[in-house]
Amino acid sequence: MHEVANFIDLNLVMIVYLFLVGFVGGLVSGFIGSGGAFVLTPGMMSLGVPGAVAVASNMCHKFPKALVGAIKRYKYGQVDIKLGLIMAVSATVGVQIGIQIQHAILARWGQSGSNLYVSLAFVLILVTVGGYVFRDARKCARCGGVEVASALAKKLQQIHLPPMIYFKTADVKISVWLTIPVGLATGMLAATIAVGGFIGVPGMIYVIGASSLIASASELVIAFVMGLGGSINWAFHGLIDIRLTLIILAGSLFGVQLGAIGTTYVKDHMIKVVMGIIMLMVAVSRALAIPQYLNELDVIQMDPAIISLMTQTSFVIMVAALFVGAAIILVGIWKGRKAEKKDRLLHASPIPETASH
Amino acid sequence: MTHVPKKRPTAKMLLFGGLSVILYTTLFLKSEAVMQFFTRGGIYAALPIATVFLFSYIHGSFAGSFWSVLGIEAQKTRLQEKMEQQKSRARPTERSRSRLRVHA
Repeated sequence: MHEVANFIDLNLVMIVYLFLVGFVGGLVSGFIGSGGAFVLTPGMMSLGVPGAVAVASNMCHKFPKALVGAIKRYKYGQVDIKLGLIMAVSATVGVQIGIQIQHAILARWGQSGSNLYVSLAFVLILVTVGGYVFRDARKCARCGGVEVASALAKKLQQIHLPPMIYFKTADVKISVWLTIPVGLATGMLAATIAVGGFIGVPGMIYVIGASSLIASASELVIAFVMGLGGSINWAFHGLIDIRLTLIILAGSLFGVQLGAIGTTYVKDHMIKVVMGIIMLMVAVSRALAIPQYLNELDVIQMDPAIISLMTQTSFVIMVAALFVGAAIILVGIWKGRKAEKKDRLLHASPIPETASH
Repeated sequence: MTHVPKKRPTAKMLLFGGLSVILYTTLFLKSEAVMQFFTRGGIYAALPIATVFLFSYIHGSFAGSFWSVLGIEAQKTRLQEKMEQQKSRARPTERSRSRLRVHA
């Protein structure tokens, strides 16, 4: 057993809390391909779980959840396995690069410096990418929810740089070399903020040219591969609290399948809407956490009471981001099923026969 | 077009639900022994990895059939129809196979 790991005692309140957060995280992941993990690690830490154990246990639930979600969405014809696996190769390399950067920052500036780096990464990337995704989703909504490939993706697909590869489900032909930066960035972000999909999914949409349905589904393949590799590493060091992993998994396996079902009831652009909203809210949440780390590094001087208030507000907004995303998905499912029922009743109504004399 | 209601997998839900309850109960009744072995590291790393695969299969099947029993299932998507069309085009037809035998 790892010497510094303390494994907490569990009570019913903690179990219910982890189950619920697991369910909501799974729902969001099943729908947008990623996004539940960023809440779970700090969520577990708020219960007293040491950071390394929280990260390890979270990752060990992520990969089987991603597998179940990927299988479900594959049956709906949404997963491009080849795209997911090719991206997973460069993402795995990206994770290692991200880990080395983290180690270097930790060694140079300590834990506060590392936390500041993570928070800045959150804010910069999520505001930029999340803002773009959300604006694009609104544009799609105004055009009746019909997606078109981005101008950048169309240009990149014209570049003939062998080996060229055709992704059948995504219906995209592109140079393999152009998938590498997206995969690397996905892995690096996963190592930094635990959610690689916030770059991976937009990357597959806007750089490679896959639709948001296929990008979010294929992201689950990447998440499975990265999560499995990372979990084996953590398990080797004896840091996985299997009780936490399995409680979260109990909830998330319900959620991820419901999220996957949800993608078949909503217009394609809704995936961008949910992703954009979550990313922007999480960016705000992390921005509020930054003063704490600047204060610890003596870059600024702030009243401890204000720091405490901002840190608590940051946590609340982060949790709210996940629940807002989940609410939008559930409303989308409810509306979609209502419309489907109405449509079924309409077709089931018998056509009245004309009277014969 | 008449809608033919699908048979709900209640038996499957009950079977996998029961197995899931057994697995989770065993985990928590034997949690001390489980934690002792599962956090040893090294070759014991196989234990948590194999366990999550097992729980995912059993509990995942239960969760999937739970939603189906509640009547919450996916709509057939355009992508699903496209996948089915591609599969049927890939299968050689019986007629063309018998023609080949005649001419051979």
